[in-house]
Amino acid sequence: MNWTDHLPALLLAVPLLGAFVTPLVSLGGKMLRNTLLVVTTFVTLVIAFLLWKDVLVSGTAVYVMGEKVFNLTMPSGMKLPVRIILEADAFSAFMALCGAIASFAGALFSLNYMEGFSGMKRYVSLYCLLTVGMLGMTITGDLFNFFVFIEIASIASFGLIAFWRDKAEAVEASFKYTLVSQVASMVLLLAFGALYGKYNALNIAAIGSLLKFGFMEKIVLVFIVASLACKCGAFPMHMWLPDSYAEAPSGVSCLLVAVSQASLYGLVRVCFSLYGVTMGASFIPWVVILLGLASMFFGVTMAVVQHDIKRLMGYHSVSQVGYMLLGFGVGMLVLSDAKGMADYGFAAIQGGVFHMFNYTMYKALLFLAAGSLYYTTGKRDLNDMGGLARKMPYTTFMFVIAAAAIAGLPPFNGFVSKLLIYESSFAVHPSLAAIALISSVLTLASFVKVFQTAFLGPEQNAFLSVREVPSGMLAGMGVLTVVILAVSLFPSITMSYFVEPASKALVDQAGYIGAIMGGGM
Amino acid sequence: MWGVVHTGFGSWDALAWILFFGIAAFFLLWFRSLGRSDYKKGTDQDEIFWSSNVVPEDGAHISVPADAAYWGFRKGMEPFYKGLVGMHTGLAPDIVGWYVVVVAIMSVLILIV
Repeated sequence: MNWTDHLPALLLAVPLLGAFVTPLVSLGGKMLRNTLLVVTTFVTLVIAFLLWKDVLVSGTAVYVMGEKVFNLTMPSGMKLPVRIILEADAFSAFMALCGAIASFAGALFSLNYMEGFSGMKRYVSLYCLLTVGMLGMTITGDLFNFFVFIEIASIASFGLIAFWRDKAEAVEASFKYTLVSQVASMVLLLAFGALYGKYNALNIAAIGSLLKFGFMEKIVLVFIVASLACKCGAFPMHMWLPDSYAEAPSGVSCLLVAVSQASLYGLVRVCFSLYGVTMGASFIPWVVILLGLASMFFGVTMAVVQHDIKRLMGYHSVSQVGYMLLGFGVGMLVLSDAKGMADYGFAAIQGGVFHMFNYTMYKALLFLAAGSLYYTTGKRDLNDMGGLARKMPYTTFMFVIAAAAIAGLPPFNGFVSKLLIYESSFAVHPSLAAIALISSVLTLASFVKVFQTAFLGPEQNAFLSVREVPSGMLAGMGVLTVVILAVSLFPSITMSYFVEPASKALVDQAGYIGAIMGGGM
Repeated sequence: MWGVVHTGFGSWDALAWILFFGIAAFFLLWFRSLGRSDYKKGTDQDEIFWSSNVVPEDGAHISVPADAAYWGFRKGMEPFYKGLVGMHTGLAPDIVGWYVVVVAIMSVLILIV
C-alpha cells in the first residue's frame, strides 16, 4: 500500500490534529502556536495539492474509513456501502485545493492581524476545525458525514465570528448566523433522514444508483437546494452573510468564503451526482437560475450603496454566488440534452466551476485587504478613509488586482469565468446574460468607489502615522495575489488541468457512482 | 498557446490583451514625456486648485465621502432601494422567515410543475 492512498484521510486528519493539539502547543508560547497554525495549514495545502494531482493521474480516489483494505467499498455480501467513505473526484479535489489555499492565506494573515488579542489558542483551534469542516464537506461521499462536516464548520464559524466578543455587533452577527444556519441544517438533516429511510443508505453514490424521482425525492431536493443555497448566501436567504463576514476577523472572513463555496459544492454535487438526469430539466434548474439572477443583481445593488467596506464586500459575495448559480443552473437545464450540453451546457458548468475558484481567491484577498485597512486605520467606514495608497502601496496594489478580477476586467481571471457564463447563459436567453453584465458593471462601479474613497485622494491628517501592514499580512495577501495573477496569465492551463477535469467529473454521474458501486448503476 | 481559452463561442487570449496593454502603456508614457519640461515636482505647481479658495490643510476636508458617490444613481433608484433596503431589517426572525418562505414556495411549486 502506498502512503498516497491515505491522502483523503490525511487531508482531514492533519488540520484536525492541529485543532486538538493547539491548547497543548500553546503552553509553549506564542511563537510555537503561530508556527503550528502556519505549518498545519501549509501541510494541509500540500496534501490537497497531492490529492488533486493523484486524482488527475489515477482517477477518483476512494477511502473507506476503518476498513483493512482502504478502497474496499462493499465487502462481500454487502449490497450497499455502510462504512464512512471519502470520495475525491477531480471536482472534489479541486474544491479541496481551492479551500486549502484560502485557509493557508488566512492563517498567514492572522499571525500579525490577531497579534495582541487574547484567546488565540481558541482562535487557532477553531480555525483548524473550520478548515476540517470545509475540507470534509468537499471530499465526503456520504450524506450524513456531509451534515457532520457542515456542523463542524458551523460551530467553528459561530465561535470565530463572535471572536471579538466584547463587540455587541460580533455577538449579534454570530447569533443570527447560528439561528439561520441551524434551521437550515435541521432541514438538511430531515432531507438526509428521509433518503436514508427510503433507500437504507447514506452514501451519495449508493443512493444515486437507486434514486427514483418521486414525491418524497422532490421535497428532499427542495430541502437540500434551499438549505445549501441559504448557507452559500443566495438571495433572499443571504441576510446573515454581510453581518457575519463583516464582524469576523478578516483572516476568518477569508476562510468563510471557502466555506460558503463548500456549501455550494454540496448543492451542485447533490444536483449532478445524486439526482442527475432524474431531476428533470424544468423546475430545479430554473430555480437555481432564478436564485442566481436575483443574488447577482440584488446583491450588487445593495453593495453599491454600502459604506462599511466589509459589509460592501459581504454583499458582493451574495452577488458573486449568483454567477456560479447561473452557470450551474444553465448546465442543469441541459443535463439530459446531449446537444445542448455540447453547445453551451458544459461551457456554463466550466464557467461555474472556474468562477468558484476565482471567487474564492479574489474575494478572500479583498477581505484581507479590507482587514489591512482596518488594522492600520481602525476603521471600516469608507467615509472616514482616504489617501491610503501613499501609505500602503503593497496593499493598494493587491487590492487593485483583486478588485479588477472581481469586476471581470480583462485580462484578469474573473473575466474568463464570467465570459463563459455570459456566453452560455446568452444561449438560453439573452436577458440572462444582460442581467449578468449589468451586475458586472455595478460591481466595477462599487469597487471604483472603494478605491477612490479609501486609497485615492489627498493625504488625511488622521492617517499621518499609518504605515504598510506587517510582512505576515502581506504574505497572506501575496499568496492569493500570485494565484490570481498566475490564473489570469495562463487561463488555458487552469482550464485544461483544473477546470475541465473538475467539470467533467461533475457531470459524470456514472463515474461518481461507479467508483463506489463498482460500475453498477 | 498558454493564454488562449476557447469558450465554444469564441476565444479569449490573455497574452494578446497584455501585449495590447503594454503597447498602450508605451504610447501613454511617450505622450507623457512630450509634456511641459518646466514642470517641477514639490513646488507650487503641485498645489491643488480648489476653485481659487484656500486649500484646507487636512485632506479629509476636501475628500469626497463614500456616501456621496453615485448620489444620482441612488436618487433615481429611490423607490427600488426603499423596498430593497426595507426587506433587510437585520432581525433574526426575518432572516429565518425568508428561508422558510423560499422552502415553502419551492415545495409547493415542485409538486405542481
